Amino acid sequence: MTSQAVVIEGLGKKFPTPSGLGEFTVIDSLSLQIARGSFASIVGPSGCGKSTLLNIIAGIEPHDSGEVRIASEDGANPRARIGYVFQSPRLLNWLTVEDNIKFALEAQSIGRGDWGERVRKYLDMVGLAGQERNFPLKLSGGMQQRVAIARALAIEPDILLMDEPFSHLDEITARKMRVDLMRILERARPTILFVTHSLREAVFLSEEVYMMSIKPARIFKHLRVEVPRPREPEDPRLFDLEKDLVKEFFAVLEQDNR
Amino acid sequence: MNKRVALRCLSILSFLALWWLGSLFSAPEILPGPVVIGKTIVDNFTTPGPEEKSAGFHMAVTLARILFTFSVAMALGIACGLIMGLRRKVELAFGYWIPLALTIPTLLAVFLCVIWFGFSEAGGLCAVIMTVTPFVAVNMLAGTKALDKELIDMAHAFKADRSLIIRKVLIWQLMPYIFSAFRYAFGMTWKIVALAETFGLKYGIGYMFTFWFEQFNMAQVMAWIMLFVAFMLVLEHGVIGRVEEKIFAWRPAHAG
Repeated sequence: MTSQAVVIEGLGKKFPTPSGLGEFTVIDSLSLQIARGSFASIVGPSGCGKSTLLNIIAGIEPHDSGEVRIASEDGANPRARIGYVFQSPRLLNWLTVEDNIKFALEAQSIGRGDWGERVRKYLDMVGLAGQERNFPLKLSGGMQQRVAIARALAIEPDILLMDEPFSHLDEITARKMRVDLMRILERARPTILFVTHSLREAVFLSEEVYMMSIKPARIFKHLRVEVPRPREPEDPRLFDLEKDLVKEFFAVLEQDNR
Repeated sequence: MNKRVALRCLSILSFLALWWLGSLFSAPEILPGPVVIGKTIVDNFTTPGPEEKSAGFHMAVTLARILFTFSVAMALGIACGLIMGLRRKVELAFGYWIPLALTIPTLLAVFLCVIWFGFSEAGGLCAVIMTVTPFVAVNMLAGTKALDKELIDMAHAFKADRSLIIRKVLIWQLMPYIFSAFRYAFGMTWKIVALAETFGLKYGIGYMFTFWFEQFNMAQVMAWIMLFVAFMLVLEHGVIGRVEEKIFAWRPAHAG
């Protein structure tokens, strides 16, 4: 039994350069611990390796050095369930909404007997009850992303990875989705690792904020957001936090440039 | 409905009218009119022709040949295309075989097979399979190049196994390619089957072309051609079109 859901130690990742001749380091000796049940955000500029980090945690990309440990709820099951919400919905457009969720359930070897109940429960949670038999391309972008969230929640993951899930949506939809996500997570509460380039989004959503610098990626600041839930997007305490963090970010960027 | 249907009817009627007009100005042995041909087709079904075989029998023979060669060519072509597309080494090793096979003129393929296998059922059917398979393979190969890596990553992230990925992710992305191969291969198959029947196979619609052509019976030759065309149109639009509509229901363009 451990209180950490994700433990990353000295993680390193290199990619070949576009010419194919050399290598460049994307992530260099990165260490990170995410406590069970917490909502942690990683904030960093575009191209800093945030998505690569999530892909490594999800096991779809190999890493070159260091260690990634993921523990499930009871600590006994070595294969923790990982849900993943990507930047774009990545739905199987030829399957109905319902079958898209069942795809994840089947992939995770969840008993067929539970499928109907899970589909109903999680579609209802993301506000899409009644859309079971619709095809994804007939839904709006925001609704498609809700299906993707339902798909990730339906496997009842130990850890939910979210990679800038609202960055492709218009700001009004994104804002509503953030508020809804908070409400959803009152009912289903996995450990969440949320990646974003928006400090405002990070401080609004999370309890822990990790700030990441670019090339190579490393964590230069960890901060707890103590503002109690439910939070209002316009809460002045969140604004103040954001302002401080922006200042700090630029200071680090300047340092790196010197 | 009605404008589109009306236009189509009009186009068929104008074709029949042109044909009828043409027949008025030429000898019946050269271009018989539509009425004569219609009557000949009906007669061919009701009264047995040469060797006591009716039109229904020949149609069944041709259909069986088309279905057999088409299924074999599709299966072989899909398998070859997929293996090449998903295994880089296989593509490097055998990639050049496809343009080679595509370049052989159809008529020559039929001749080659006749030389190798004689005027037998096997020879004719082999020629069809040999010509159609590479077209299917080349389409499937193109399909594998267009697979969406993001979706495959998504499937891996959810720990989908190989069989689930093939069934729910890959097959569907390849479906448009399978279908375009399907349509094209089907069109090729029936043309080559008719050609092989004309040249050497016993029975079938193509065999009847030759039979009546050698008797200089133009009404019968045209009756068989019209029957053949009608038969293929029904197969292509009635059967394949329906299946396609069902499979692509998820695309917004097909929204009902």
